[in-house]
Amino acid sequence: MKTSLKRLTLLALPAALLVGATASAQAQEWAPTKSIEFVAPANPGGGWDTLVRTVSRVLQEEGLAERNFAAINVPGGGGAVAWAQIARDNGNPHKLFATSPPIILVPLSGASRYDHTDFTPIARLITDYSIILVSADSEYETLNDLFDALKENPNLSVGGGSAPGSMDHISMAGAAAAAGLEAASVNYVPFSGGGDAMTNLMGGHIEAVITGAGESVGQLGEGSQLRALGVSAPERLGGGLEDVPTYQEQGIDYTFDIWRGVMGTPDMPAEAVAYYEDLFAEMLETDGWQRARDQLGWIDAYQDSEAFGDFLDAQQEQFSSVLGDLGLLRQ
Amino acid sequence: MDALNNLMYGFSIALEPINIAYVFAGVFAGTIIGMLPGLGPISALALMIPITFSMEPSSGLILMAGVYYGAIFGGSTSSILLNAPGVAGTVATSFDGYPMAKKGQAGKALAIAAYASFIGGTVSVVFLMLVAPLLSKVAVSFGPAEYFALMVLGLTAVVSLSDKSLVKGLIAAVIGVMISIVGIDMQTGTERFTFGSINLLDGIDFLVVALGIFALAEVFYMLLRGGDSKEGPRNAIGSLKLTRSEVGEIAGPVSRGSVLGFFTGVLPGAGATIGSFLGYSMEKKIAKDGDTFGQGNIKGVAAPEAANNAACTGSFVPLLTLGVPGSGTTAVLLGALLVMGVNPGPMMLEQRPDVFWGVVASMYIGNIFLLVLNLPLIPFIAKILDMPKALLLSLILIFCMIGVYGMSFSVFDLLLLLGFGVLGLGMRLFGFPAAPLILALILGNIMEESMRRALQISGGDWMTFIDKPISLSLLVIAALSLTLPLIKKRRRKA
Repeated sequence: MKTSLKRLTLLALPAALLVGATASAQAQEWAPTKSIEFVAPANPGGGWDTLVRTVSRVLQEEGLAERNFAAINVPGGGGAVAWAQIARDNGNPHKLFATSPPIILVPLSGASRYDHTDFTPIARLITDYSIILVSADSEYETLNDLFDALKENPNLSVGGGSAPGSMDHISMAGAAAAAGLEAASVNYVPFSGGGDAMTNLMGGHIEAVITGAGESVGQLGEGSQLRALGVSAPERLGGGLEDVPTYQEQGIDYTFDIWRGVMGTPDMPAEAVAYYEDLFAEMLETDGWQRARDQLGWIDAYQDSEAFGDFLDAQQEQFSSVLGDLGLLRQ
Repeated sequence: MDALNNLMYGFSIALEPINIAYVFAGVFAGTIIGMLPGLGPISALALMIPITFSMEPSSGLILMAGVYYGAIFGGSTSSILLNAPGVAGTVATSFDGYPMAKKGQAGKALAIAAYASFIGGTVSVVFLMLVAPLLSKVAVSFGPAEYFALMVLGLTAVVSLSDKSLVKGLIAAVIGVMISIVGIDMQTGTERFTFGSINLLDGIDFLVVALGIFALAEVFYMLLRGGDSKEGPRNAIGSLKLTRSEVGEIAGPVSRGSVLGFFTGVLPGAGATIGSFLGYSMEKKIAKDGDTFGQGNIKGVAAPEAANNAACTGSFVPLLTLGVPGSGTTAVLLGALLVMGVNPGPMMLEQRPDVFWGVVASMYIGNIFLLVLNLPLIPFIAKILDMPKALLLSLILIFCMIGVYGMSFSVFDLLLLLGFGVLGLGMRLFGFPAAPLILALILGNIMEESMRRALQISGGDWMTFIDKPISLSLLVIAALSLTLPLIKKRRRKA
């Protein structure tokens, strides 16, 4: 994806609305008849939970949904517990869940029997990108400095906020491979969260950190103890991150999306899918959503059900090849 | 006096009528949430995010912080009265609080808990105000090697927590470590002790174990001893008043607990639970009457209660000065602040002094509210013990089950709770102490993860634990705390 995602979205949105409008004209018969269970497959406080609660709140405040969206947390197994429950709820049009790369990564690593093909894609909503950070007094000024150093001394540790084989690791391994290193040669040290990894970087315990760009915004800027070397976006990000170059600007041809979206129960009726697609596309246009989105550092990245499904298939292919290189594929 | 000016500024925000109302609402809701086992501050705060969204950031954080420290304050009540810890941070309070209640001193135990919490909370706000920016350096100086050493030091408390038989204490600790490593291994993604069940992939929640081993085991034990209702009424709540000598006795534990708890709270990932355990075991080692800990010693209530409240305030240091959440609860707070448009971090003191100083000032007010709110309530709440035994036992049972189910909506966790209840009963019948198991459960996982992380960073070189000064000194203290009592014993025998 060479063009800016933001711009793409702007172009895509009216189109999506048009499609949505025609779709809803055909499928006006269906509307929710009771409140919708919106599942965050994790504990309160994480990315999925924030998405579920923000979406529910905006829908309610803007008066878009006919029925209430009830946020429900089903933690366990990095999502696997919730997926197993939802997979049993065949065709239920009143149950949705928040999703992101783990729906592909967790099954690939063998920790879930269900993967994205077991559920109905509804819409991709937003995306975040990876960011690579070093300490402010570090000798590495560019990504290439860092990768050169990693080439010379593979023992140098790169911290991330999630387990081996999950988003941060895949993103780092992919970038390293694009920079000419062996993906598996990176000494990736998993911490219990991006914040934990960044604290360890400030304390000088590790060499570099890879985490979500949105999560790092508060740590950067004037007087910061950290320096950002690059973002995995196809084009520079806005806000507090406009000075951070992309990987591609530095000659490393690699992008990585930390996308988030919504999926539904297996075999959800097409009319219900159309209703939700429409609803979310409409929500993305509201002021309430745009305010919340900017505050949370998210970037709109809408895709409708069909496009989202294709995108998921492509992601699965890409991830399984990286996991294969890392020796973490268990299927 | 810069701090004083800032504090006055903070009070000008915290004393706005609307903010006073928020402090009060926060600590009141927090106290009640804390009293109910299982319903912890995390889920309560997550539910509040939509409410605080449209509020001024300083008011929102004042309200949410109130819920957080109010819950830690209120959590001691059910620990003391029912042996069912209300929140994870008050498990250690039940070690001596519950025996006191059984001896007919429930009123006194609750009063000590309230005073100790108040002092712990207030002392730590003073620290937060004066040294927060400096302390962020301390927080980041703790890397994996240092955390490993700290956990080793914490685990040496197993020796002092296993009162009668050291071997049985060690066995209990090993079981605790084994429970702590259930789930997906963070370092390699390997499943351990999950027996192929997805319900165990995320490990076992600490509160499920604590409620099972303490509260449920107690229920079973009382049932087994049946017909015991003649054993004498427990309705004696006792006086709330402390004698002057008792005040003198707890002064030391409370002040040491406050300081220790605050610094534990500052370390991301340590928090109120570990703080209260460290406070408890330190007092047990220091006290001349250390062997009566666990049988209703007032110092055993005062120390962990001061420590857990101080740690709760301490955990605001990494949150507000680094933008790093040290616990699940502060992670939710961070999320809420982001939604309100505040970016906590190194720049926050300059960009949003109103939020930082407003919250600090509101904590002074909140702690006074908590004391005033809780003390007069004690006689009423303690009446719960007047209930007929059959009713009381069913009530504990229901509380535990609602608490566990409310955390995860998982029937599997209810079965686990039952299993740990049976395990706890077995341990009681055969004289295995429960405290070492709980301690090892809290520390085991962090200890293992930190050790492996440290070794991965050092390229497998074990010297990393000795090369770093903080880690080395913690390990030396750990070694001393293990060997000194043995040497003392030898000398006494000789």
